[in-house]
Amino acid sequence: MTDDLIARLSSDLRPIPPRAIERRLWRALLAGLAITSVTAWLVLDLTLGRPFGGAFGGPMFWVKMGYTAAFGLIGLAAAPVLTRPDGRIIWPLLVAGLLVLLALALGTMDWMRADWSMPVLMGNTAMVCPWLITLTGLPVLAMLLAAMRSLAPRSPTLAGFAAGLVAGGFGALVYAFYCGETGMMFMAVWYSLGIAMTALLGAIIGKFALRW
Amino acid sequence: MQADKTEMRLRELMLAALDGDGAAYRALLADLARYLRPWFARRLGTAYASHAEDLVQETLLAVHTRRITYDRTRPFTAWLHAVAHHKFVDHVRRHAIRPTVPLEEDAPVFASDDSANAADRRDVEAVLKFVPERTGELIRETRLEGATIAEAAARHGITETAAKVSIHRGLKSLVAKFGRGEP
Repeated sequence: MTDDLIARLSSDLRPIPPRAIERRLWRALLAGLAITSVTAWLVLDLTLGRPFGGAFGGPMFWVKMGYTAAFGLIGLAAAPVLTRPDGRIIWPLLVAGLLVLLALALGTMDWMRADWSMPVLMGNTAMVCPWLITLTGLPVLAMLLAAMRSLAPRSPTLAGFAAGLVAGGFGALVYAFYCGETGMMFMAVWYSLGIAMTALLGAIIGKFALRW
Repeated sequence: MQADKTEMRLRELMLAALDGDGAAYRALLADLARYLRPWFARRLGTAYASHAEDLVQETLLAVHTRRITYDRTRPFTAWLHAVAHHKFVDHVRRHAIRPTVPLEEDAPVFASDDSANAADRRDVEAVLKFVPERTGELIRETRLEGATIAEAAARHGITETAAKVSIHRGLKSLVAKFGRGEP
């Protein structure tokens, strides 16, 4: 019985190149980003009337780019490790947490100078921003989770969380192109919330979808 | 020492298998089955020992379908242990088994295998040090681990006849050293 299985498995052997997981995840990310770029333009620009490049030119645009890309890259560093049966990694989560704290600290100083005025915190879009970020990240999340289904995460929840972090980070990055807000505190609160929501969604889906 | 040797041998087989070497892969899976069977049986306890074979197959299947997740730079035994542990927990949950393993009997996958119990095995390892290394490995593979002479010869890149002669000479010198008259 077991011998039959061994014979069958060893006759069905295809070579696996080094760093195959990383490649698979990168491919999924690029495919997801392609879909996200198109749908973001269709939904945000054409349907919601947000012009592309609303905040171009200001330094805050570049801060947003760096902040969101950092979360995407942190998730991307954690994902290949967390999708292995013996994978343990903790520093990306710590770095992500520190990054949020740093942004909140800088944002608070900024907000203090503005005399704690509510409009600085809320901008014009605070109530929709986190939801739209999660929505923008969804294609990336779906592609990453689909790619992870053939892997073997030690903790499906954590692997899903990493996928969500990547999707949230890059989703927010794409969203930033259609976002006219320029407040530091706005980004520190609402962008972080949108990315966290995406990561949480990834963790919840991953808990069930990434079982093996 | 023993575990390091196992790690080196299995890792080499796994790396060859990842590069598409079917023979190495078959040897690896057969080896793993031999280690996994007693490990699962011990963890399941006597009441559920019959599940061990299912678990061996599930684990081999997982090794096959998830082999992309083995990181070439990391120890193979740790990876295999993680896969086997995952399959064990999954199986136990699914079948609502509540196994109890006395702590002192819990051991890593590669602590022992089917071919001999651990104490005998240590003796054998000590004795085999008295013959040349390759001869010792040939003896272990054919007489203890159940490989055929042809397989063992192929693993060491020598002819079958050479392997037979080497095993025969090795055993003879061991008998001369340790045997008390009887062959």
